[in-house]
Amino acid sequence: MGTIKFHGRVLNPGSGEGPAVVEEALSFYGEVDPKTGTTVSGKTIHDRVLVIGRPRGSTVGSYTLYGLKYYSRKPLAIIVESEADPILVAGAILADIPLFDKVKGIMERVSDGIIITFKDTGEITISSDG
Amino acid sequence: MYLTREEERILSGYEGEAKALAIKTLVKVGEALGAERLIPIKHAHVSGISYGTIGEHGLALLEELVEKGARVEVPTTVNPIGFDSEEPSLMSHIGVRLDDEFVKGQMRIVKALRAMGAQTTLTCTPYYLPDTRFLKPGDSVSWGESSAILYGNSVIGIRTNREGGPLALMSAIVGKTYYWGLHIDENRKPTTGFKVDHNEPLDEVMAGLLGKLVAERYAGVRPPYVKVALRDELAVKEMLAAVGAAGSLAMIYLDGITGPSIDIVKLERFETIDWRELASLYEEHKPSEKPDVVFLGCPHSRAEDLARLAKLLEGKPEPKSKIVITLSRSEYRRFRESYPEYLGVLKEKAVIVRDTCLIVSPFGRDDSGLTVVTNSYKAYFYLSKRGLKVGLSTIEDMIPLLYM
Repeated sequence: MGTIKFHGRVLNPGSGEGPAVVEEALSFYGEVDPKTGTTVSGKTIHDRVLVIGRPRGSTVGSYTLYGLKYYSRKPLAIIVESEADPILVAGAILADIPLFDKVKGIMERVSDGIIITFKDTGEITISSDG
Repeated sequence: MYLTREEERILSGYEGEAKALAIKTLVKVGEALGAERLIPIKHAHVSGISYGTIGEHGLALLEELVEKGARVEVPTTVNPIGFDSEEPSLMSHIGVRLDDEFVKGQMRIVKALRAMGAQTTLTCTPYYLPDTRFLKPGDSVSWGESSAILYGNSVIGIRTNREGGPLALMSAIVGKTYYWGLHIDENRKPTTGFKVDHNEPLDEVMAGLLGKLVAERYAGVRPPYVKVALRDELAVKEMLAAVGAAGSLAMIYLDGITGPSIDIVKLERFETIDWRELASLYEEHKPSEKPDVVFLGCPHSRAEDLARLAKLLEGKPEPKSKIVITLSRSEYRRFRESYPEYLGVLKEKAVIVRDTCLIVSPFGRDDSGLTVVTNSYKAYFYLSKRGLKVGLSTIEDMIPLLYM
């Protein structure tokens, strides 16, 4: 039982809580279907906290993020362990999805289904009893 | 990021919801990259507007922006779409079937961009349009479309980063971009150089292959310096397009073309590219069989390229392969006006399509057994990925291939 705290850079603020869905590397174009809100590996990101090791750029990825909003399949937030690229930042703003990056070490501690809490301040907490 | 009072006002929505959303996107992207402020731009070129790639939701975003009152603040041009906007059926000559949904969705995208005030000539070569002639070296712009970005930075001397997705459009709506990357003097100075150990000027195919080599060997924010003789404007365009396709560079410092001049002695590293390596690449990419389609116009052709081909085709019999030429509406008009003597022969022997090209159209998607010959490494790069058999040949060498 207990919690682990992380701190990230706030690129689009937001507060909330939900189960994590983890992807090592993800390109929003071609690897996320905005109509179903699922990734190529078959995981759903709708209403989850999407944790990405590193984003893989494709220039139309911003439109896919907007598509998740358009089809009501948005994740609760996106947390990036490394750095968010311009495509991801632009998409998160347009789709109004909270976005945090530079969350060092989170990939080691997180797995699908673990509850994550995120705050406007950049504070990210995961429960370690999952 | 530091914002002026005017920018704060826009961000707070005093100039409308669309402009507020656009500036918010630019500020956040700028902050993520570490930019300190925004700077004004003189022009924007918007890419990624194919219905096939951005889909119904991409269209929805553009229409939402229109609804919220988005208008471009600076002259704005737009990339090609999936077909000739005035004659969509032209594509059927090369086996491209367009479904209704695609045509309608695509035209709604164009309509939305036009409603925002963009100039919808639909070309990947905005630098050949009269609309961009006012741009001067040193001007900051916000361009999408990698080949145009490379040409703008390296040949015209205007300044742009590689603006993906909707970012160039957001810049157009605000009239600004983040001060970062190639907008900053220091970042435009090369530290690495490449030199081809051969003095004969490279034709457009060799130039493209050189572009591929440079892009694969060098990655970084700063442009690499390249010392090479290029045969003509076509070779310059093809080399830069190849660099854009094969890597993530946004600029090449071309000896004798890019300004201002630099002291190459100060370069930290200088590599020689072996001529034999280029020559063997040339052999590898040579067409090996009779082409179904011979393609000219990636990036979009100039009137001069059409005249060059027409001259070679004069008096020749009907070609056995389909010749496809893609270019902007504006260059087509210039061709008709400047070279009326060649209009007949080209119309008779080739399919001339405006507003699109084989890469942004669904060409070959249903028929991956097609064999294509082109003079563009960029076209080779993307069409090969589609499963087509592609060979590279200069305009001159295309002629015998037409009668195989």
